[in-house]
Amino acid sequence: MSLLSVFQWLQATEFATALRESALVYPTVMATHLTGMALFGGMIFLTDLRILGIAMRGTPVSDVVNQFRPWKHAGLTLVATCGIMLAWAKAEFYYHNPFFWAKLILLALVGVHAMVFRKSVYKNTAELDRAPVMPTNAKVAACLSLLLWISILSMGRLIGYYELPVQASVPAPGQQTLLLAPAPR
Amino acid sequence: MLAYDPSTNPLNNNEWSFPLLEIIHIASFAISIGTIFIVDLRLLGIGMRRQSVAQLLKDTAPWTLVSLAIVLMSGPLIFSSDPNLYLHNPGFIFKMEALLVAIVYNYTVHSRVARSNPSPVLGKLVGGISVALWVSVVFGGLFIAFT
Repeated sequence: MSLLSVFQWLQATEFATALRESALVYPTVMATHLTGMALFGGMIFLTDLRILGIAMRGTPVSDVVNQFRPWKHAGLTLVATCGIMLAWAKAEFYYHNPFFWAKLILLALVGVHAMVFRKSVYKNTAELDRAPVMPTNAKVAACLSLLLWISILSMGRLIGYYELPVQASVPAPGQQTLLLAPAPR
Repeated sequence: MLAYDPSTNPLNNNEWSFPLLEIIHIASFAISIGTIFIVDLRLLGIGMRRQSVAQLLKDTAPWTLVSLAIVLMSGPLIFSSDPNLYLHNPGFIFKMEALLVAIVYNYTVHSRVARSNPSPVLGKLVGGISVALWVSVVFGGLFIAFT
């Protein structure tokens, strides 16, 4: 069974079909994805700028990182749940979409980023509070985080702009016609 | 009367300009609304409780303002790509109404109350209204593509 057939099967499930064809639920999931992004993205942005010494300088790094953490987790859970639903609803379109795969690779790099910097930066904030100057690796972590998330956001938006090559959009016999997401204009 | 022809707009004549503008719009709205949400979570008493509301407002306000300015510059540019489409779009009209109320609210009631470190009851009310207003703006914006 090829990966493509898995994605085709996902898209053909009752859940995906109902979601894709709902005039209300599908956009609501997308709007929730964006709202969660504001919650999550705003906190990532401020955490990184705090580590760089640019924003929230009146608040210790430990207070920023530790108090944002549960909300970042909640925001990420919300965004990821909605994101999976959006991709599931149009799985075959996503399979062919290079921006989707680029986004997944960048999200995997976020995991690598967390593994590399968690111990020395994000779980080490008491040390960062005491440091007379912010350690270089913390600043590198903050810059990479900003770069990764802005790239992920960009890929996410570009997913909607990808158009399938003509032959890929021809449905197999008995298979439902592919629904393409037009770029919201 | 001078007629505006959107086909002369550079945004409609370059494949990458429109998506790039949207990315800027989305990133800056995420930061502006996200920074307001941080104050709201504190007003609601469910986040950042080691800081006072006034301190959080002071910490986030410049970033809210700068990102909101970028939102308010990129938005009209997006609008300029096809004014007739937007002016007749219910999602857009709702978004503009909600946005106007949200901005006025944010820079009057919300900031004044946040600066005064309000009682929990007042904080919950003011923070709750703020979240509802900004969520409405986001939903209105998204529904432009679906209405």
